[in-house]
Amino acid sequence: MSEIKKVKNLKEFSTSADRFEGANLLCPGCAHSIIVREVLNATNNDLILSASTGCLEVCTAVYPYTSWDASWIHIGFENGSTAVAGAETMYKALKKKGRLKQPEREPKFVSFAGDGASYDIGFQWISGCMERGHNIMHVVLDNEVYANTGGQRSSSTPIGSSATTSPAGRVSYGEKKNKKDMIAIMAAHQIPYAAQVAPNKWKDMVKKIQHGMAVDGPVFINAISPCTTEWKFDPKDTMHIADLATDSLVFPLYEIIDNHELNITYRPKNVIPVEEYLAAQGRFKHLFKDEYKYLIKEWQERVDEKWAYLNRREEARV
Amino acid sequence: MMKKGWDEFEIGAMLRTFDGKIDDIAGTLQEDRAYSENSSFVASVADWRINKPIFNKDFCIDCQFCWVYCPDISIISRDKKMIGIDMDHCKGCGICVEVCPTNPKSLLMFPEKSDEETELATWPAKNKETK
Ligand SMILES: Cc1ncc(C[n+]2csc(CCOP(=O)(O)OP(=O)(O)O)c2C)c(N)n1
Ligand code: SF4
Ligand code: SF4
Ligand code: SF4
Ligand SMILES: [Mg+2]
Repeated sequence: MSEIKKVKNLKEFSTSADRFEGANLLCPGCAHSIIVREVLNATNNDLILSASTGCLEVCTAVYPYTSWDASWIHIGFENGSTAVAGAETMYKALKKKGRLKQPEREPKFVSFAGDGASYDIGFQWISGCMERGHNIMHVVLDNEVYANTGGQRSSSTPIGSSATTSPAGRVSYGEKKNKKDMIAIMAAHQIPYAAQVAPNKWKDMVKKIQHGMAVDGPVFINAISPCTTEWKFDPKDTMHIADLATDSLVFPLYEIIDNHELNITYRPKNVIPVEEYLAAQGRFKHLFKDEYKYLIKEWQERVDEKWAYLNRREEARV
Repeated sequence: MMKKGWDEFEIGAMLRTFDGKIDDIAGTLQEDRAYSENSSFVASVADWRINKPIFNKDFCIDCQFCWVYCPDISIISRDKKMIGIDMDHCKGCGICVEVCPTNPKSLLMFPEKSDEETELATWPAKNKETK
């Protein structure tokens, strides 16, 4: 049961039997479900799942329907991670006492949550799970905003983005604080694995999810999730926006093993200017006005700096 | 389906995804599962669509990009072949068309009311300019 599923290529991947169902209420073109499908299809093991409050939870468990074909729990906004950690602790206890009915099955424990639920409101719960060493995986569906309640800023919202609580207008260019580096914070808990993934790089995603499910201990995954509604782009362009995000290095793909071995897992052949990524989304539209154009230059500098930092860390193995 | 009100359930009542038992869910394809009336699989979002994708298998190379990037589990692939679209669950986002690499595309969007046979008969020819 617990062999790693063979996924040589996309054709082989497409033989997966999905455990996430359609006719959920996520927006057309929502990346949350693309990410969830790639994560669930990366394994054949049984799954114990949770979702913290947010678009994914709200849209997939509307009475009388569920879109989940696995054990799934939702409690509140902040505690999806601890719900799954509790289930994992119970599983371990029953196993130790020899009370599991099918001890040969090795379920995987995965908690899904938005950036609001992870970077802000569920932060201490996740930190607790990481520190206590539960054998769980926490996956952030990072759309850089509180999407489900209409687009308030979170500590994942990047500089210059217009959010409903930090709107761009005559006196402001929108969000003023830079995005929190959650991956570094989580890795600093000395967990065995932390990684950033993107739905357009499905193979990199599957590899990292499989690695994360194979290691013993807590795993943190940050998945970029382009949001057609809040980022303001046409639903058909979700994968195009994800490509711009990874190829402009705004969302570099990398992993951190045991908080010291950093590997960059994707190096775009042609790195595209950050400006192209920004220009494709309505949330950054105002940055192209003359008075705010300097912010685009600053954006590029920040991205270059972060990329150089990741490269230095990769080389130094620290 | 007939919905019970929240106060009509007995305490501890359980709604199940499937009728009966499925032992190996990851090894059981959708057509072999007995979905209960509480799975969203039995529901439809077809009325969300303004435009719908039409699939022309003559040009398809079975790359499976549409399968992996469809958010709504609406591209039906079996035995490594793309065989059609689940029109109950497709929301008409158009992602599958965007990611389809063939020339001409094997998937195109049309107004919801279009007739599939007519569209297939007048499918655009190969585009000479690259892409
Ligand atoms: C404790 C608590 N505070 C606020 C809310 C209201 N609320 C529900 S969903 C949501 C936004 C979720 O944002 P995020 O976690 O980023 O997920 P997304 O919807 O963006 O996927 C908020 C603020 C709540 N349900 N519980
Ligand atoms: S608001 Fe954004 S994250 Fe929420 S369902 Fe719509 S596209 Fe998905
Ligand atoms: S239009 Fe969207 S929902 Fe419909 S099959 Fe294509 S990708 Fe899937
Ligand atoms: S993306 Fe196009 S070519 Fe590839 S499997 Fe789908 S329809 Fe066929
Ligand atoms: Mg969010």
